Amino acid sequence: MAYIHLDGVSKQYGSVWAVDRADMAIGKQEFVSLLGPSGSGKTTLLRIIAGLERPTQGRVLIDGEDVTELPPHRRGVAMVFQEFLLFPHRTVYENLAFPLRMLKLPKGEIEARVEWAVGILALRGLEKRYPNQLSGGQQQRVALGRGLVGRPKVLLLDEPLANLDRELRQEMEVEIRKHQTDLGIPFIYVTHNQEEALSMSDRIAVVRGGRIEDFASRTAIYDHPRTAFIAQFVGRSNRFTGTALISQGKTALCDHGVRIESAARPDIADGKRIAAYVKNEKIQLKPAAEMPADAANTLTATIRYVLLRGAYAEYVLGWTGGEIIVSRPRSEAAFAQGAEVACFWNEADIDLFPMTEDGR
Amino acid sequence: MKGRAAPAIFLGMPTVFLVGLFVLPLVSMVVLSVWRTENYHIIRDFSLHNYEVLATEGAYMTFLVRSLAMASAVSLICTLLAWPVAYGITLYGGRYKLLLTLAFAVPFLTGEVLRIIALQGLLGPAGLLNGLLLSLGAAPLRVIMYTNVASAIGLVYLYLPIVVTVIYLSLLNFDQRLIDAATIFGASPARAFFEITWPLNLFGTLIGFALCFIPCLSATLAPRFLGGPNGTLYGMAMAQQFGESGTWALGAAMGVVLFAVSLLLVIVVARLVDLRRTGFTGFGRG
Repeated sequence: MAYIHLDGVSKQYGSVWAVDRADMAIGKQEFVSLLGPSGSGKTTLLRIIAGLERPTQGRVLIDGEDVTELPPHRRGVAMVFQEFLLFPHRTVYENLAFPLRMLKLPKGEIEARVEWAVGILALRGLEKRYPNQLSGGQQQRVALGRGLVGRPKVLLLDEPLANLDRELRQEMEVEIRKHQTDLGIPFIYVTHNQEEALSMSDRIAVVRGGRIEDFASRTAIYDHPRTAFIAQFVGRSNRFTGTALISQGKTALCDHGVRIESAARPDIADGKRIAAYVKNEKIQLKPAAEMPADAANTLTATIRYVLLRGAYAEYVLGWTGGEIIVSRPRSEAAFAQGAEVACFWNEADIDLFPMTEDGR
Repeated sequence: MKGRAAPAIFLGMPTVFLVGLFVLPLVSMVVLSVWRTENYHIIRDFSLHNYEVLATEGAYMTFLVRSLAMASAVSLICTLLAWPVAYGITLYGGRYKLLLTLAFAVPFLTGEVLRIIALQGLLGPAGLLNGLLLSLGAAPLRVIMYTNVASAIGLVYLYLPIVVTVIYLSLLNFDQRLIDAATIFGASPARAFFEITWPLNLFGTLIGFALCFIPCLSATLAPRFLGGPNGTLYGMAMAQQFGESGTWALGAAMGVVLFAVSLLLVIVVARLVDLRRTGFTGFGRG
């Protein structure tokens, strides 16, 4: 039985539906991300769960209770904000104690719980400081601690890492996931950053134009995108376009002389405009001389630049149809700038989608 | 060189301004207060006679106490009225926020005297209010005109725009999303106001209060035109020393006392309020 239910939740601003019939069921121990570009409605959806916005239609249920009409302070939820929103006139200790005071807990209990938060978030020694005397990372820890001390029914996180630098962000990702696992409460995490969503979530809901395009496990979202938008937005892909050709139990397309051949897709009619996506890391490289140039799922290209990304090398390749990007582990043989290479990939790594009217 | 000149210019200008227009006149006032005036002539004899007069003649003390009471009441009323007005503008003003705030300053486009005279016309014995009451068959209100109540109404009318503007600016700088945070963490709207909104705007509120209180202490026009026989306030009595009576030295001593009282009040308030607890860092945001 799901712990949090969104039942046809919609929100209308003027004539625009910021959230359009969102249905979700989230389990009690789940880490769920709402992933989408800015303006997709993911933050509005989070604010509806928090009670900061009222849905135009639909219901929100938390722990079996319909909370749609309840104001935020009666919902037992907590939130971590992108801008931290710590109370500037209160010390770290007082910020952490705030939710507990609102719960009217006895003083001893408040002290014990703040002490616990200070301990797990490495804030010891900072209790008497004011927020503006803390670094960004420390402020984010206090914000997270304030979210956790009250043992909320659900913790809502609104792009909490967007204002931190990359290194700190990766550190915090580990920490956030760890606390979620330890506490066993659901986290709903809003982000536009696919890496954050993929690194921490159990399941990801991809939000676009107010709608949930897909809500599935992170591996399913990454490996088997259900829509072209997801294929484009999650992971980094190369895109080929052409007309669908159905023959010998395969669905194929031809883009600038390159034949892209996938397993049969009965849902795609012959002659329809389609797009094929192949993720950067699914494309393999060989010296051009070693490959027959006319095989399906193969193309010949020249290496324009090589970007070194630590464990991976990212090749930017030019071919007759434009540019593709391929990332390969450094453990493989490296190619130099200007080298002629053959690129090839497996049938199973192709994601095919019919193209929409506007060419997407 | 350029790097050093800039702070000198930026800090130098206000320094020159303050010394020229505030410190020097203040010093001359202190000096004048220990001299005396006879028949419109200043006589340069050092004596504390003026202060003796202020301390011993009961009328001056009455004026001062009455002024303090008046200024307190007026500032309190202004603050209580200004808060909901300023808050309403920040919440619901939308894109007319600035316009609404400026509209509050429209009375400043006319002179103070004119505004007071207008109030006289409104509240006077044969004024608009009483005219309305009479035409309705009711008895005219005698308590309003030429009483301290009339003075208070006049002062509230004069200083309300300033208090509204100052509190509005404070609220404008206040991050409303902190209220979201407070309610998420279990505070009811009323609780969120007293835990977050009020303390974080206390500094602005105090400035608004002070910008009403201090000019009220030295107000001359409102009590003179609206106040009536028992309405003499300290500032009005002080102005008379420089005008009709020609006792400038006594007036200067009154000014020194007024300045000392104002300074004392500011110090007491500064002592009572911990700026950190109002979110005021003195270094701007962040």
